[in-house]
Amino acid sequence: MKTSKKKIWIGCGILCVLSVLLSSWYAVAYNDSRLVVPMDFKDYVFDIKDLPMIVSIFLVYVYLAALFVMLFIHGGKKRRQAKETDVTRKINPKLGCLGVLGFLGFAGFWTYPVDGTVFPFAFFLFFGFFGFYYEGKMSGTFMDERFRENIVRAKLKAYRITFGVMHAALIILCQGKLFGNLEYTLIAAIISLSLALGLGIFLSEYLLYRYDHDDQAEEGGE
Amino acid sequence: MAEFECRLKKYRQMKDLTQEQLAEKVGVRRETIMRLEKAQYNPSLKLAVDISRAVEAPIEEIFVFQ
Repeated sequence: MKTSKKKIWIGCGILCVLSVLLSSWYAVAYNDSRLVVPMDFKDYVFDIKDLPMIVSIFLVYVYLAALFVMLFIHGGKKRRQAKETDVTRKINPKLGCLGVLGFLGFAGFWTYPVDGTVFPFAFFLFFGFFGFYYEGKMSGTFMDERFRENIVRAKLKAYRITFGVMHAALIILCQGKLFGNLEYTLIAAIISLSLALGLGIFLSEYLLYRYDHDDQAEEGGE
Repeated sequence: MAEFECRLKKYRQMKDLTQEQLAEKVGVRRETIMRLEKAQYNPSLKLAVDISRAVEAPIEEIFVFQ
């Protein structure tokens, strides 16, 4: 993506965040915190003062939808390019830092006791994004038949390990109630499945890097 | 299982080609040629044919299964 286009997207994102902040401030200061604090929407009646908040939330949703579509199209373009040129897609190894998002999974330990929300536990899946580091290191690598074989080998091994871990976790969890509570057992299932999937995402890239890198380390040049 | 022997290095040197040049000719990475020469990689039929054409030697002379 061109730098100018990136700047436009970042600018729009900043505008959306600013509009939400401003409208929240307006709602808190002049509209009794309507649409800011949790409220019962069954009794909701539209008020003209709600308009800034509604517009800013609408803008954020439009922005997020557009961002999602753009990333989807961009990803498709990159995949097509990689297929046509036989070269791995170009990714910055720094994207591996996104793996830190996996720590968001710990938010579940806070949300569950507060309001029973368990979906944050699924964020442990994001630990798999650490694999972008290895994918980035192999950016622009020419994919000959041996490299493609290594891709298949790495994926197969990653899937085998992932399914093995999931299988073992489910067997243990399905034995009965963990800590005497079925909900805890289900939470443990969400956590272990998310971690196993994250491991699968990470391993397929890491193993490919290892196979390719080990090959190169063994070889002498000429 | 049949033992795989690869005499690619000999034929490549006879043609005065470096691994890099041969790799470029047959459309693979240099590392793949290195692996082949060490008989640590079993090539596809297409790659074997391409290599035999590139070094102008019979395929059964380059790749030997005993």
